[in-house]
Amino acid sequence: MDFTEFTRKLGAEPRSTDPEFVAAREASAEHRQAAREADAFEAKLERAAKLQQPDDLMDLIGAAATIPDHGRKAPRARWPWALAASVLVAVGAAGVGWKMNRSWESVESYVMDHYRHDGAKVIERALESPRGDVHEVLSEFGLDATPQLAGIVKLVKYCPTPEGKGVHMILETEAGLVTVFYMPDTRVTDREMLTFDDREAMLVTVEGGSAAIIAAPAQHVGDFYAMVHDAFIRLTGPS
Amino acid sequence: MGNEEGRLTRFNRLANAYGADLFRYGMWLCGNEALAKDLVQETFLRAWKALDSLKDEKAAKSWLITILRREYARTFERKVPKFTDVETVVVPDDRELEPDDRAEVQLLRRGIMDLAPKYREPLMLQVVLGLSCEEIARELDISKSAVMTQLFRAREQLKTKLQKDGVTGNVHGLY
Repeated sequence: MDFTEFTRKLGAEPRSTDPEFVAAREASAEHRQAAREADAFEAKLERAAKLQQPDDLMDLIGAAATIPDHGRKAPRARWPWALAASVLVAVGAAGVGWKMNRSWESVESYVMDHYRHDGAKVIERALESPRGDVHEVLSEFGLDATPQLAGIVKLVKYCPTPEGKGVHMILETEAGLVTVFYMPDTRVTDREMLTFDDREAMLVTVEGGSAAIIAAPAQHVGDFYAMVHDAFIRLTGPS
Repeated sequence: MGNEEGRLTRFNRLANAYGADLFRYGMWLCGNEALAKDLVQETFLRAWKALDSLKDEKAAKSWLITILRREYARTFERKVPKFTDVETVVVPDDRELEPDDRAEVQLLRRGIMDLAPKYREPLMLQVVLGLSCEEIARELDISKSAVMTQLFRAREQLKTKLQKDGVTGNVHGLY
């Protein structure tokens, strides 16, 4: 393999294990130098291409195995292919991720299970690196957030819910950080209170589904009821 | 093991083996974390439904990539998303790099984003998913020599960018 052909191969397929190419790497000082430079560049390129896997990726993939065809709804306006509308039933996805291997017996058990799974971790993450665009996330559900809600969302991410993909939010309030799960198409008893571990939760009926507000008892979840109840607005326009 | 349980085991194996890399590839296709996650979820939804048609486990990676690319093409037939989020999902290890190395990695990341799709896509199929030139050619339905040319040019463009804006050049905009 002459040097021109070798450098072309280096530029196109530097990790090739083709015996002729591998042998050519040591063919001359010129070949060795070119190979060293290509290896160094490739290491940087691989590093640059490496992106962090989201925490909830495996949950979302696991949810795919639990979505029956008949549960899928009409496409959403903004992202017509979105799975937001999918319905979860438990046929199991053990090993893929968090609790996708079962159905929740009730909304209450889901809220507790979800919060115990990553509630504290997500709050911690919100403190370290706030992220997410609540308008964009909610638009997938045909919704938008009121300015009152949007103004205090510190972190927003997708999460599994009893009826498919939902939204996990951390709100920055005067009483401290408060967690809200938005659960599309899930019916709850409005204002029902739950107590578990060192948390209190209130279930709220909202546009397009329901929400759970979760906080420490001293934060008085009931104080956020009105704001959360009115926080989700149906997007107008074609759907 | 029941049939349904067997399917789940098989599905989980695929998800654990390829889920993260498909997400990374999806990110480099559309540049938006939420969209990439949906793309991957939709891919696995379709994979779940068609799992019985996958006869050879060795073909699973190509099969999933094909599903994801079709889904991407179908989704963005009319609307190409803004390439916005890549720098928000960088690996935490980056923080441990020396400043010069970190700057180079960031420049390369921006360089990859700036590549035309016809260069970026084969490059990411190779670098992120480990496909050979032959496999990329099959996936993109072009000749192997065309793939090699695109890969060569993609790397040349990135190297030029590094030389032009690299550690001896304009990295100040990165901080």
